[in-house]
Amino acid sequence: MRPFAYTKVETLAEAVDALAAAGPQARLLAGGTTLYDLMKLEIETPSAVVDVHRVADLAGFDTSGDRELVFGAGARMADVAEDGRLRRDYPALSESLWRAASQQLRNMATLGGNLLQRTRCPYFRGGEPFACNKRSPGSGCAAQEGLDRSNALFGGSEACIAVYPGDWATALVAFDAEVDVHGPGGARSLPLARLHREPGDTPQHEHNLAPGEIITRVRVPVTPAGRGSAYLKIRDRESYAFALVSAAVALTLDGDGRVDECRIAVGGVATRPWRVPAAEQALRGNAITEASARAAGEAAFTGARPGRANAFKIELGTRTVADAVRLAGSRAVG
Amino acid sequence: MSPEPQDTQPVDTRRVDAREKVTGAALYATDLHPDQLAHATLATATIGRGRIAELDVSAAAAVPGVLLVLSHLDHLDLQSPGFVMGGGYGVQSLQPLLDDRIAYRGQAIALVVAETLTAATEAANLVRARYETEPFAATLDSPGVERLSQPATIPLPFLADLDVGDAESAYATAALHVDATYDQPAQHQNPMELIGATVSWRGDTLVVHEGTQNAGAIRHGLAQQLGIDAANVEVISPYTGGGFGQKNSLQIHIGPLALAARRLGRPVKLVVSRAQLFHHTSFRPASRHRIRLGADEHGRMVAAIHEVEHQTSRHDLFPLMYTEITSRLYGIRDFRGRQTFARMDTQSPGFMRAPFEHPAAFAFESAVDELAYAAHRDPLEFRLANDTTVDPVSGEPFSSRHLAQCLRRGAKRFGWSARQQRPASMRAEDGSLVGWGVAVGAYPASIVPSAAHLVAGADGRIRVEVDGHEMGQGIRSTIAILVAENLGIGVHDVDIVVGDTRVATQHLTAGSWGTASTLGAVHAALRALREQLGMDTRGPVDVASAVRATGRDQVEARAETLGPGQTEQDAEHARKGLPTLSGPEFPGYSTFSWIAHFVEVRVEPTTCRIRVPRVVSVADCGRVASPVTAASQVRGGIVWGIGASLREAGAVDPRYGGFLNNSLEEYPVPVNADIGTLDVDFIGEPDLRFHPVGVKGLGEVSMVGVAAAVANAVFHATGVRHRRLPIRIEDVLAGTTA
Repeated sequence: MRPFAYTKVETLAEAVDALAAAGPQARLLAGGTTLYDLMKLEIETPSAVVDVHRVADLAGFDTSGDRELVFGAGARMADVAEDGRLRRDYPALSESLWRAASQQLRNMATLGGNLLQRTRCPYFRGGEPFACNKRSPGSGCAAQEGLDRSNALFGGSEACIAVYPGDWATALVAFDAEVDVHGPGGARSLPLARLHREPGDTPQHEHNLAPGEIITRVRVPVTPAGRGSAYLKIRDRESYAFALVSAAVALTLDGDGRVDECRIAVGGVATRPWRVPAAEQALRGNAITEASARAAGEAAFTGARPGRANAFKIELGTRTVADAVRLAGSRAVG
Repeated sequence: MSPEPQDTQPVDTRRVDAREKVTGAALYATDLHPDQLAHATLATATIGRGRIAELDVSAAAAVPGVLLVLSHLDHLDLQSPGFVMGGGYGVQSLQPLLDDRIAYRGQAIALVVAETLTAATEAANLVRARYETEPFAATLDSPGVERLSQPATIPLPFLADLDVGDAESAYATAALHVDATYDQPAQHQNPMELIGATVSWRGDTLVVHEGTQNAGAIRHGLAQQLGIDAANVEVISPYTGGGFGQKNSLQIHIGPLALAARRLGRPVKLVVSRAQLFHHTSFRPASRHRIRLGADEHGRMVAAIHEVEHQTSRHDLFPLMYTEITSRLYGIRDFRGRQTFARMDTQSPGFMRAPFEHPAAFAFESAVDELAYAAHRDPLEFRLANDTTVDPVSGEPFSSRHLAQCLRRGAKRFGWSARQQRPASMRAEDGSLVGWGVAVGAYPASIVPSAAHLVAGADGRIRVEVDGHEMGQGIRSTIAILVAENLGIGVHDVDIVVGDTRVATQHLTAGSWGTASTLGAVHAALRALREQLGMDTRGPVDVASAVRATGRDQVEARAETLGPGQTEQDAEHARKGLPTLSGPEFPGYSTFSWIAHFVEVRVEPTTCRIRVPRVVSVADCGRVASPVTAASQVRGGIVWGIGASLREAGAVDPRYGGFLNNSLEEYPVPVNADIGTLDVDFIGEPDLRFHPVGVKGLGEVSMVGVAAAVANAVFHATGVRHRRLPIRIEDVLAGTTA
C-alpha cells in the first residue's frame, strides 16, 4: 500500500470541496470493502482518500414514497436488504442485495460504493505480470486468450472483456433507476443505464461521472412490477461468490394472465449492467409458460460473444432468465 | 484444593481448549508482538522460469522505515534444508534468495524488513527485477513435462510398483471391464491461519514461533541451513490454525527471517499473504489415474490396474503412494500399480489432507461404481460382495477391518434400501434430480517414535509435556481424556504442552499417526507414573495424596515409545527431526482405517446446481479417543471432500505458469450454505493388536472416498459419469437438454 492523504468530511459540500482540492487521483471512501482491497493490491493507488461514511446527506433510504423509492448512496447494503417493504414490494431489489458478498461485507458496504465496484477479472486484480488495459492502459488484455470463464459475453471490446460484477446495479437497471450526483458544477441526475461505460478503447474509464462528482442518491420509480420481481443468481457456491450469471426480472400480468409490463436484465455476463429489451419484447403479451420463459431467455442471450471457457453461460443464462421469469410470474399480481 | 478421584464420573469430552480458541486467548505464532518487532514481506517473481538478469532494490530500500532488503545479491549464508521427502527438512529443497535462478512463478526474490507492515508491503512492491525468461511447463498437458517412472527413479521398497499376481492376464480374460481415466486438479490447503513466523535471537539461541505440524524439522532444518547446533534452536508452536499437510516441514521464509533477525538484532515477523500462499509452499499435485477393472460373470472383481501420474517440481520428486490403498479396498486377487512423476516448473507439491488417498479413491471408487453398473448390481451390495479380511498385497490379515459394518450401518442410517438403481429415476418434490452415491475409503495406519513426560504435582494436577502438535484436530483433548480416564481425575486438572522443542522431540504430526503415537507415549508414561507413585496399574488415583506420600513436591515419569517393529535406530532417526514411519504393514498384520460414505445430491433440473443436502459417514478408526473432536474431524473431512469434488481447483494459465485464482474468492472453498446434514458414526472397536489403547488414525480417512460418493451420486442423479474434478455447473449442464 502507498501512503495517501486522508480527509474525513461531515457534509456533502465538504466532500465536494475536499474531492476537488485533492485532485484527480483522489478516491471516495465509504464502506471501504472494495477500495481497501484494491489499495492493498496496489491496483488503486490514490493520492488522497476522502472519507464520506459519516456524511448525513448520503445516509438513509425511504421506500414509502408514492412515486419513487429513494436510496441514499451511503445507506448500508444490509440495512436496505432487510427493509420489509422492499422485500414485499420489490423482492428483486432486496434479493440482489442479499445475494451479494457476505453479511459482514453487507454491514459495511454502501449502495453508492457498490454501484462502482470494480471488476473481479483475475488478470485485472492479479497485477504483474498480467497484461490489462483497464489497470495499465495499452498493456493488452490477458483475458482474451486466457482463462476467461468469468469474462463477458456482452459489451466487450478488443481492449477488455472484464465483467461488471455488481448485483444491485443489475437489478436497478431493470427498474429504470435514476442516479443523483453532486459535483463542483452542482447537482444533476442521469439514468443508471448511463452510469457505466462499455470498455471500448478506454476500459480504464468505467463510468460517466465528471471529475469530482459524488453519487448522492439512487431513485427507483414506483411500479407494480416490483411485486412480480425476482433476482436469481447462479454462482460457484451458495454464498459469498460473484455471479456466473444472474437475472433480474420484474413484470405485471393483465387480466388474462398475459405479461403486461416487463423488465429483464442479466448480470455476470456483461461489461456493464445489461438490460435485455429483446427478452422483454419476447415475453410481453404472452402468458408465462415453459416455452415463453425459455424464449425470453433465448432472446436475452442472442448476440452473445463467448470466449474459450464461458460459452456455457449462454445456455445457463437462458435457463436462469427462464427460471427468473417463472418465479417473478408466480409473485406477480394479476 | 486437590481434585477428588472420579472413577464413577464420566469424563468431560468437550474440547479442552475451546474457550481459549474462541475467545482469542490462544496465541498463535504471528499473534505475538514482542518489543522492537520488525515486519517482513516478500517480493516474488513474475515469470514462469528463467533467471534474474537485474534486481533493483533501491526504491524499496528508500521507503521510509525500511530496515533491510535481503536477496541473492547479498550472498546469504544459508544452505538448502533439503526436501522433507528426500531426507531433508524443507517444504522443498530449493531455497529462494540464494541465486538468480527462477524455478516457478511466485518464487520469492527478496525479503523486505521494515518498522511497519505497511512500509514493508509498499517496499516489496517496489522491488524491480528484469528477467531472462525460459520456456516452462505448468500443467500435465504442457509440452516440456518430463515423465519418470517412480521405481526407476527412486528405488525404495515403499515406492516400488505393485504387482500382485498377473493383473494384465486376469483383466484380459475377465467377463466385465471398466477402463477409464480420472483427473484430479491441483488443490490448495488454505488453512485459516496463514503461514508465518515470529523469529528472534536470544544470544546464540534462535527462537522460532511458527504454526507448524513439525517443530522438529524446523529446528533441525534451521540448524542445517545456518550451520548451527540444533540445541541452539527453539521452536514453539502451541497452536496451529489448520495444517492439512501444508505446515509439515520447514518453510522457505524462516531461514531468511533468522538472518534478518540476527542482522537487525530484533525480532522479525512475517505473515505470508493469502495470495502469495498459493506459490509460497506446497499444494496437492494434479494427478491423472487410468483405472482398469475386471470382474467375472458373477460380479466378483478379479483384476485391477491402477496407473497414475502426478506433477512434481523440477527440483524435487514428491513421491506417489496412490496404489497403497486402492490395492487394499477389496479382495482383488490380481493387482498392478504403476506410478509416474511428471516434472514441471512449479514449487514442490506436497501433502494435502488425504494426499494420495483422496484422488486415488475418487478414481478407483468411481470405477468400481461403473463396474457395478456394468454388472447390473446395486453399488452397495457389489462392494459388500467384494470385501476381504486379508490384505491382498501382503497376504497377512488386517489387524482390524470393519468396513462391511461401516457400509451396512451407513446404509441403514441413510435409508439406502429405498434407492432405485436406474440413474435419473429419483426426483424430489421440487423437481430436482436426486442421486444417492456410496464409496469407501481407507488410510494406512502408522505409528512414529514418540515421547511423553508427565509431572504429577502435590496440588493434584498432571502436567503432560509431549511429542505432538495441535493443529485443530484436538490433540489436547485426546490426551486430557486419556489421562483423566486413566487416573480418575478431571480433564481440566491436566495441563498439556505440545509443539515445543524445549520439552520433547517434536516429530512430524501428520498422516493420522498423531493420536496413536502420542497417546501411546502418554499411556506408557502413565504406567511409569503409577509405578513411581506405588499405585496399582489401574483404577482411580488421588494424585495429590500419592505425591505428598512420596515426600516430594512432584513426581515425574517419562516414556519413549516406538511403532511396532521399530528399533532404537528409528528413535535416533526421529530425534534428528526426520519422519520415521512404521506401517501399514507390520509383522504379521496390516493396519488401515476404513470409512464408508453415503451422499445424497440434488441437481436442479434447469440451472444444474448440485446441492448436497446430506451425508452419512461411518468410520472404523479403532477406539474413538475423543468423541467430540473425532466427530468434528469427520465432519471436516466430509466438507473437504465436498469442496474437492464440487468446488476447488487451482487454475493454471499455461502462458504464465503458477496459479491464477490465488484468493479465497476465486478458489472457492465451501461455505456453510454449501453444507447440509452431516451424520457421523463410528464402529468404535478398539484395535488392540495395532495399538495399546486401540486407536487408529481418523483425520485423513474421513475425507477419503467422499469425492467418489459425490460423483457416484451425480451419476445416479443424472445418468452422466463425471471423471474430472471438480464437477461444476457447466459439466452437468453439458449433459442435459433444454
